[in-house]
Amino acid sequence: MMHLLRSEWLKLRTVRVNYILGIIAAAFPIVVIALIAALSGEPGSTANDLVGAVTATMLLTAIMLGVIGALNLTTEYSHNTIRTSFAAVPQRVKVLGAKAAVTLLVVVVFAALVELITYSIGAGILSSRDAPVTIDGSDRAALLGAVVLAGMLAMLGYGLGLLIRNSPATVSILILWPLLLESIVRGVLSAAGIENPTPWLPYQSALQMANPDLGSGDPTRVRAGLFLGVVVIMFVTVGVFVNERRDA
Amino acid sequence: MIEVRGLTKRFGRTVAVNDLSFDVRPGRVTGFLGPNGSGKSTSMRCMLALDRPDAGGALFDGRAYGTIHDPLFEVGALLDAGYVHPGRNGRNHLRTIAASNGIKDARVDEVLALVGLTDAAKRRVGQYSLGMRQRLGLASVLLGDPNVIILDEPANGLDPEGIRWIRDVLTHLAGQGKTVLVSSHLLSEMAQMADDLVIIGMGQLIQTGTVDEFVARNARHWVRVRSPQIAAIADPLRAGGATVTVLDDAGANIAPGIDVIGSTAAEIGELAARHNVILHELAPQQGSLEDAFLEATAGAQEYRSVAPASPPPPPHVPAQPNDWSAPS
Repeated sequence: MMHLLRSEWLKLRTVRVNYILGIIAAAFPIVVIALIAALSGEPGSTANDLVGAVTATMLLTAIMLGVIGALNLTTEYSHNTIRTSFAAVPQRVKVLGAKAAVTLLVVVVFAALVELITYSIGAGILSSRDAPVTIDGSDRAALLGAVVLAGMLAMLGYGLGLLIRNSPATVSILILWPLLLESIVRGVLSAAGIENPTPWLPYQSALQMANPDLGSGDPTRVRAGLFLGVVVIMFVTVGVFVNERRDA
Repeated sequence: MIEVRGLTKRFGRTVAVNDLSFDVRPGRVTGFLGPNGSGKSTSMRCMLALDRPDAGGALFDGRAYGTIHDPLFEVGALLDAGYVHPGRNGRNHLRTIAASNGIKDARVDEVLALVGLTDAAKRRVGQYSLGMRQRLGLASVLLGDPNVIILDEPANGLDPEGIRWIRDVLTHLAGQGKTVLVSSHLLSEMAQMADDLVIIGMGQLIQTGTVDEFVARNARHWVRVRSPQIAAIADPLRAGGATVTVLDDAGANIAPGIDVIGSTAAEIGELAARHNVILHELAPQQGSLEDAFLEATAGAQEYRSVAPASPPPPPHVPAQPNDWSAPS
């Protein structure tokens, strides 16, 4: 299995598009938070404000990392290198498992680093302006939740890629899911008389994991992410099962 | 040794490969031939567990491909030189394959040198010519120094030097005792390269055997005769039931000629002696592997082209019974 993990790691880091997406995913929160911290004249800026801004900008990072997760698989099908991969290791579940593991590990570590850098820059700027930043447990949990969300979206992209096998279609669905599909479903559920549709929407619900201002009436972060987690596991499981059976 | 037994693959209602069985022996280059759409590539994908066969399968030295651990050390396969990520450089492409089977980077550099791609190793594969991609594909086949080699159209896109090179490589590998199965549409190359042939058409086995046997059985045979008294030999040949085609290439330095089907060179020579006919040429002729292939697959071509307005003038031969190693 270590051989496969090394192979998948090589695949991930030897394609230029992954670096481009990674740079975009890292630059957006870092630049935005630096600008917010530098330009904000609010003397009362708090750690909670900073964490809220960091986790909000990390959502784009999470989506970009989801795109990397999707492309890491779908480009194998679009270039037919999946046949080379399966010919080299005919035990397909092992190949797909190694690819998922490497994708998840890289995305989580990358998201954590970007978030750490982003937060440190924001905190540094605020501290230099006599606004010392100290974070509490809820802030830490929200920061952790943003990293978990990035990992989940990467695996969502991976699972969609397993089922769809087409890069443009997979990336489109991955991006449109949070931006469009769930908004439509929310509207439909609201029209149907459901007062709080969020628990029925996996992505919207999972966003609560990165919310530093959870109220007492809100679900816990674990429960908020559970729905999306189940959806991701279902997609990946069905995708692996289908790929094991059908022609490469 | 490759043993294919009862291999069957359907795509919906289309039977791509139907109960295909054959053996590929070690120490020999075996050509895998068939018209377009005959099921060669599908068969190869099924053998390598890339496509799931509906029945049957292939064994490599007694084991199914899907059960082999680190198969690059036992089976090297190149199904399509285009199976590459264009954004990855050639060396990294090989490294990703090699790493999956625990093969060191040093071996990657070795095979790059073997196929002459060392200087292009750091270039992105998207900038490679088709011939360079074929070489890169062959490098991936050689990574684990396997005993079985499967190549689908390896000469595609290669220049004459490249074609000769791949021929030399494959015959060299077979000379080392390796099992080599190679499909190609370049029949003249196959005639020089292959020892054995597996011919399929419309997904079914048509014939197997050595190249010499195949050509002898399926290609046309005739005798070319040239004489300044050509009518004096042509007439008795016709009278004896032979088919005679007059050649129209006679000139100042070349006597009139005929192609004769239905008589041997010995019979024609004796006939000429009896009629006191001077012969300038009496030469048995045999069709090429291409002729034999077209004859053998005449009824098994899914896609046919329209004959040109002025077809070349091969001698007309009535269809021959085809019992050479044909499956029952």
